[in-house]
Formats: sequence, structure tokens, C-alpha cells
Amino acid sequence: MDAFLAAGTAFLDPYLIGVVLIGTIGGVVVGAMPGLSSTMATALLLPFTLTMDPIAAISLLSALYCAGTYGGSITAILVNAPGAPPAAATAFDGYPLAQQGKAGLALGMAAVSSVIGGLFSVVVLIVAAPLLARVAYDFGPPEYFALSLFGLSMLASISGESAVKNLIGGAFGVLIATIGMDFTTGVDRFTFGFWELSEGIHFIPVMIGLFAGCEFLIQAGKLNQPQIRAALDAVRLPSLDDFRKCAGTIMRSCGIGTFIGLLPAEGGTVAAMIGYNEAKRWAKDKSQFGKGDIRGVAGPEAANNAATGAAMVPTLALGIPGSATTAIILGALLAHGLRPGPHLFTETPTLLYAIFLAMLLANIVFGVFGLLGAKLFARVTLIPIRFLWPSVFVLACIGAYALEQSVLDVWIMVGAGLLGFVLKRYGFAAAPIIMGLILGELVENSLKQSLIIFDHEWLRFLDRPIVVTFLVLTLVSALWPLVGVWRARRAAV
Amino acid sequence: MSIHPGEGRAAQAARLPRDLVVALAVLTFCAAAYAVTLGFKEAPSAVAQNVQPATFPRLVIGVIATLSALLAALSFRSDSARKRPVKPMVAVTAAMMIAFVIAFDTLGFIAAMVLFSLAMPMLWGERRWSRLLPFAALFPAAIYLVFVLGLGVHFDPGLLGVN
Repeated sequence: MDAFLAAGTAFLDPYLIGVVLIGTIGGVVVGAMPGLSSTMATALLLPFTLTMDPIAAISLLSALYCAGTYGGSITAILVNAPGAPPAAATAFDGYPLAQQGKAGLALGMAAVSSVIGGLFSVVVLIVAAPLLARVAYDFGPPEYFALSLFGLSMLASISGESAVKNLIGGAFGVLIATIGMDFTTGVDRFTFGFWELSEGIHFIPVMIGLFAGCEFLIQAGKLNQPQIRAALDAVRLPSLDDFRKCAGTIMRSCGIGTFIGLLPAEGGTVAAMIGYNEAKRWAKDKSQFGKGDIRGVAGPEAANNAATGAAMVPTLALGIPGSATTAIILGALLAHGLRPGPHLFTETPTLLYAIFLAMLLANIVFGVFGLLGAKLFARVTLIPIRFLWPSVFVLACIGAYALEQSVLDVWIMVGAGLLGFVLKRYGFAAAPIIMGLILGELVENSLKQSLIIFDHEWLRFLDRPIVVTFLVLTLVSALWPLVGVWRARRAAV
Repeated sequence: MSIHPGEGRAAQAARLPRDLVVALAVLTFCAAAYAVTLGFKEAPSAVAQNVQPATFPRLVIGVIATLSALLAALSFRSDSARKRPVKPMVAVTAAMMIAFVIAFDTLGFIAAMVLFSLAMPMLWGERRWSRLLPFAALFPAAIYLVFVLGLGVHFDPGLLGVN
């Protein structure tokens, strides 16, 4: 209670409220820009938050995360170009509605269902995270090893070209995490004689490169495409009839999004797709889906925002990121010297309550801004990409440099951008690599500690019920996409 | 898989699945990475506690190689779609990214930023000086204000001594 009051008092500070407002508005703006996602924005912003107080820094990133997920829907509805991947499903019906002259209704429903989804998930976060953290107290290194394997195996089912490629990407990220000195033995690994690499490759420049550097190159290939510009008259609140029509869809999507968000590695994109499919599946009249059914906007929007708060549950309680953006927030916690996991709840409860409050505030604020300022935010599509993307690249360079004030980090960022572009062309997504990179240290350390505890008898992993449960879940989640392919083939025959 | 005009069926059939080529490239990478681990120093067993520095990386390399073999096997059943060729502007932009970091390290950040802010939009087709010049002046100025004066990020002055 004291911690809650302390966090509440901290939020009386206009500075902290200002930080959350900036994060929220910034989130909606970057979320609305096609190509610029809240994941990229948090990655770009992270190095500059290191000089801030941890509460302000994490509140800023959390607000940006919540608002960015909503912001993507603005351009998805207005110009059929989702500002961020979680908004892709919103475009299926949002854009047809806009073409029918109902952009205001679609935007209003997107804002309201996003706020409901977001608030629902923050309540789940407030209730579930401490409970999960209490369970995590019983976790030893073998349990953490099995849990991190489960987190990595979930990469198989996140959106992307291929489940196997996602798993390869995750393992590649773990391999990158081994670069530098092995802290148990003091032996350098993959440093090729460069002493600068002994401390390892910091994940921030890699992350910025994989998201921002790579996107800069992708945009270079799209220069001849005409820039789509948004136009709408006014945003209006959905009527009571619209709400009645969508209430069931929104509540169902809140549950779906929260469940998907709780799973390690899954995030808003998967939640939105399932939210859309379920909205369609439960509808009595499916004929208007894809042509402009308002439930096709409410379903994915409630689901992707419900996933935001839920994805913070494993991130804060276990130190296992729930999505790509929460992986970056996890990195921010680590960079601030904080230890995500159950100890966070006993050592820094004020910070946790501040995160909860920041997310609550952000959800309310983006709802208001979404309704009042969608027309304004839609104007980001007017920024010429010839100026926008070079600016983003310069910011990416500064972000990579500012961390250690080292040009080597800028080279790493550019290298990661070039590599990310090549990998993307061959079907490897950036998010699994980042997940692997962040979880790599945990995987290696927990495995080593487990082997020492078990005196190198691998079968003793099976003596522990939690480990066995996670290992079974790991197998199921890694093989599930193959089962899906097999079922689809069988259905086709 | 896209079929290009004029391309014969025989040529199509002879073409290796795209994912098979990817899997072979990843396997080659694994072989090279494994070879590098052979050069890792051995730690005394009392320090290493039976987990040598190369053990974990080799385990991960093994996992990647196994997954790549699976990818190769699956590629004959379902291959990934071929992408359009990379446009020359992408290569030019990549070169500009590298040139920017070189300029950052040698000329100094401010000078590099001014040059980049002018050159990059021009390369991408912007020809209106009324837009280019203000951007090349105002964007670096804003960056300087926010990051150098506001956040205290220190940039080396470089050869031109601008800081």
C-alpha cells in the first residue's frame, strides 16, 4: 500500500505526467506512421532514457508502447497502410468503412475498443503480475532454463514467413548473446581479437539497427510508390447501437488479447488476427466482413491493446518478454540496473505501481487524443519520406552512439541494419533475433547453473515437475505450426 | 514462385528451392561458427566446472544446424515466395549509411549530419532547394539543441573541429 501511495504521489509531479503525455502523443504519432512502429520508437528512445530517473524512463516507454499500438489503426483505417503490424487486421474492415465515408465511425470505434482493451489488460497486469511473481519465487535455475526455452519456442508461432525461420532467428540471437567474455571462465568468445567486443554486443544498437536501419533500406526500395495521404471529415463516437453490436466482440477480444499477451513472445499482431477471426466466426451475418463491418474494427483493436498490458505480465514477473516491444522495455529495466522477475516486486514496488499507473494514464489519454486528434495525427502521412527516413536514420545513429558514446556501437547498428535487410529478404524476422539476444544470457546462465546443480546429469531436469511442464509446453509450441500445416493439407485433400 | 516470361519449364525445375539455398547458407555459417569455437581457450576444469566456454555456443550452433536441416527438408514441400530484385537505390542507400558512419568518425558528427541531411534527400529525388536547404540547416540544429545541449551527449569534433 505504501508503495502504491508513493507511486501515486510520484504521479502528482507535473514532470511525470508530462513524460507520460509526451510518450502517449509520441506513441500515437509514430504508431500512425507506416513503417515506424512503437517497437522501433522504444528502441530509438531507450538510450536517451538512461539519463532519466527509472520511474520516468519506464513510464515513458510504457506509455509509448500502449499508445503506439492504437496509433497504427489511424493510418490502417484512413489509407489502408497499417502504421504498425498489430493494426494490420484493423485495415480489413476499417479501410472499406473509410471508403464508404465512415472513417470517423471506424476511428471512433478503434479508439473506444482500444481503450477498453488496454484498460482491461492493465487491470489483469495489476492482478496477475504479483501472483505470477509469487509463483516465480519457487523457480530455480532449471525452471528458468525451461521457461526461457518455452519463451523461445513460442517464436515458432509468432507472425512471420516461417516457423522454422523464426526459431533459427531466435537461436541466432542467443548465439549473438554469447559474443564477448564468458563470465564463468573469463575466456573471450567470437571476439576475433577485438578487445572492444570482450564486453559483448549490447542489444540496444543491434535492436535499433534491426528495426530502424533495416526499415530505412526497405523505404529506399519504395521511393517510386505514390505516397498515400489521409483525408477524413470528423471523428465521431460510435452510437449506442454500434456499441450494442460490438459489445460481445470487444469483451471476447479483451479475453483473447489478454491470453495471447500473457504467452511469452506472442504480441499484439497475433492477438489482433485472432481477435478479427473470432469476431467474424461469432457473427451471425458474416457477409459484411472485409467490406466494412464495424465489428471487424472493434475485434482486432480491443485484442491488440489487451495484449499490451498482458505482455507486461511475464516481462515484469518472470523477466521473459511477452512481445518485441516488451523485450525492449525489459532491456530498459536491465539498463537501469533493475532485475526483472519476482525480486522487482519486493525490491522496487514503487516502480511497478508507477508502471501500472503510467499505462492506465496512457490508455485514457490516447483514447481522448485518439478521438479529438485523429485528424491531426493523420497528417503524419503528409511528411515526405525523403526527409522522414533520413531523419530516422540519423536518430538511430545517435541512439546507438549515446549509449556508450562509442562509434563502434554505430557500426554495430549499421551492420545490424544491413544484416536485418538481407535476413528479411530471406524470410527471417527481426523480433525473434531480438528475443534470442535478450534471453540468451538467461538461457546460458540458467543452463550452466542447472548442470552444476544436477552434477551434469541431464535427465535430472525431468525430476522437477515445473521443468517437465515447461518442456512439454516447449515441444507443443514448437511443433504446433507443423500440426497446423498438416491439418490444412488434410482439409485441402 | 513467380514465373518470369520466357523462362522455360526445364529452367524452373532445375532451380533449387529458395529455402534450400537459405538452409545451405545457414549450415555453412554454422560450420564456420563451429570452426571458430575450436579456437576458444580451454579453461581449467575447476573454473569451468565442466562447462567449457565453447560448450554453450556449440550447443546453440547445433540447434541452428538441426533447424536448418529441417528447413531444407521442408523446402521441397513448400518454398518461400521469391522477392522482387533489390532496387539499385537500396544499395546506394546502404553505401550512404556506411559513408555517414565514416564521416561521423572522421569529419565529426555535426558536419556529417549536415552533409547527410543534404545528400540523402537529394539522392532520393528531392530537387527543391527551398526544402533541402532549410532541412539541412534546421534538422542538425534541432538535433544539436536536443541532444548536445539538452541531453549532454558528447560528440567528438572530428577533423573539421565542429562540435
